[in-house]
Amino acid sequence: METAATVAVPTWKTALNMIINPGEVVKTRMGKVPWPYSLAVSGLSFTLFFMQTGLDLLRAGQIETSAVVLMTMLGLLYGTAGVAMVAVMVWALAQAGEREITISWAISSFALGYSATFVYALTGLLFSLALGWKTAVAFGVTGVLWALRPTLFTIRQMAGDRLAFSIALTTLCGAMLLAGWSLLGKFGA
Amino acid sequence: MEMRLGYKDGTAKSGTGDRVRLWPVYLCFIILGATVPFAKPEVKATTMLLSMLAAALIAALAINLLVMLFNASNRPLQEEDSQFARDAVGTGMLFMIPFTVLAVLAQFVLGWNGIMPFASAAIMTAAATAGTEVVKKGAQGMKNVMIPTLVALVLSTAWMLLVGILP
Repeated sequence: METAATVAVPTWKTALNMIINPGEVVKTRMGKVPWPYSLAVSGLSFTLFFMQTGLDLLRAGQIETSAVVLMTMLGLLYGTAGVAMVAVMVWALAQAGEREITISWAISSFALGYSATFVYALTGLLFSLALGWKTAVAFGVTGVLWALRPTLFTIRQMAGDRLAFSIALTTLCGAMLLAGWSLLGKFGA
Repeated sequence: MEMRLGYKDGTAKSGTGDRVRLWPVYLCFIILGATVPFAKPEVKATTMLLSMLAAALIAALAINLLVMLFNASNRPLQEEDSQFARDAVGTGMLFMIPFTVLAVLAQFVLGWNGIMPFASAAIMTAAATAGTEVVKKGAQGMKNVMIPTLVALVLSTAWMLLVGILP
C-alpha cells in the first residue's frame, strides 16, 4: 500500500481513470487532484456541449452566431459555477463534513466525474465541425449520462456508503443538470 | 434518509438472511421498455407490450448471465458465500434507477424522443458497477471488469436491434 501511495500518478491519468474505475479514484486519489483542475475539466465539457447545442440550432436556422457564442459562455458558467453549486448542495445534504470530507474535495471529485462528458463532447464537436452532424443530444447528453457513474461513487463516498440515498441524490443531480441544460438552451436560443 | 439497500456502513452483508432484491432492476427495464414506443409517431398497445416483454427478457438475460459468469470465474468466493454474485449484481444493477428516471423525464417532461441512449448507458454502467461490487467482495482480476462490459455490450446491442424491429 505504501508503494502504491508513493507512486505519482499524473492528473490526466486520474481524470481518465475516473471514467474506467471511479470507485478507486474517489477512494484513493481525489485528495491529490486540485479542484481548479477538476473544474477546468467540467467547465470545458459543458462549454463544448453547449457549443454543439448552439451549432445544432444555428444549422437549423433558429439562432444567430452571436447566440452560439452566448450559449458557449453559458456552458462554461454551467460547467464551473453550476457544477460547483451542485457539489456543495450534495455535500450539505450528505452531511459529508461529518466524515471529514471537505467542500473542495467534493467540488473536485464531482467535477472530475465529467471526464467522460469531456471525451464525448470533444468527439461530438469534431463530428459536428467536420461532417456537419447534429451532435448535442447524441454526444452531449450521452456524455452527461456517462458522468452519472462517477457521480454515484462520489456521492456514496460523501454519504458513507448509503446506497439508496446515493442513488436518489445521483438521480436528482442528473435531472437537475439535464433539465438545466434544456432550459439554458432555450434561454440561449 | 437512512435507507438501506445492500450495504450498511460500507460492509457487504454476509449470511443468508437479508439478501438484495432484484425486482427494482426488472422494474427499471420494464419501465424503459414501456417508454420506448412513445418515441414513435403513434403509440400502439401491441408495440408497448412487445417492448416491455423484450425489456424483461433482456433484464433476465443480463442478471442471470452476470450471476452465472461471476460465479464461474470466482469459485473460491462462491464456496464462501453462494449468493455473492447475486448480491453483487442486484446491488450494482440498482444503478439502473437514475437512468430510468432520467429517461422518463427526458421523454415526458423535456420532450426528447430518444430512450435507447439512456437504456444503453444504463445497462453498460449498471453492469460495470456490478463488476465493481464483485471486486468489493474480494474478487480479483480484470475478468470482473471485462465480463460485465462484454455482457452489457452484447445485450444493449441486442436490445437496440429488438427495439428496431418492433411493429
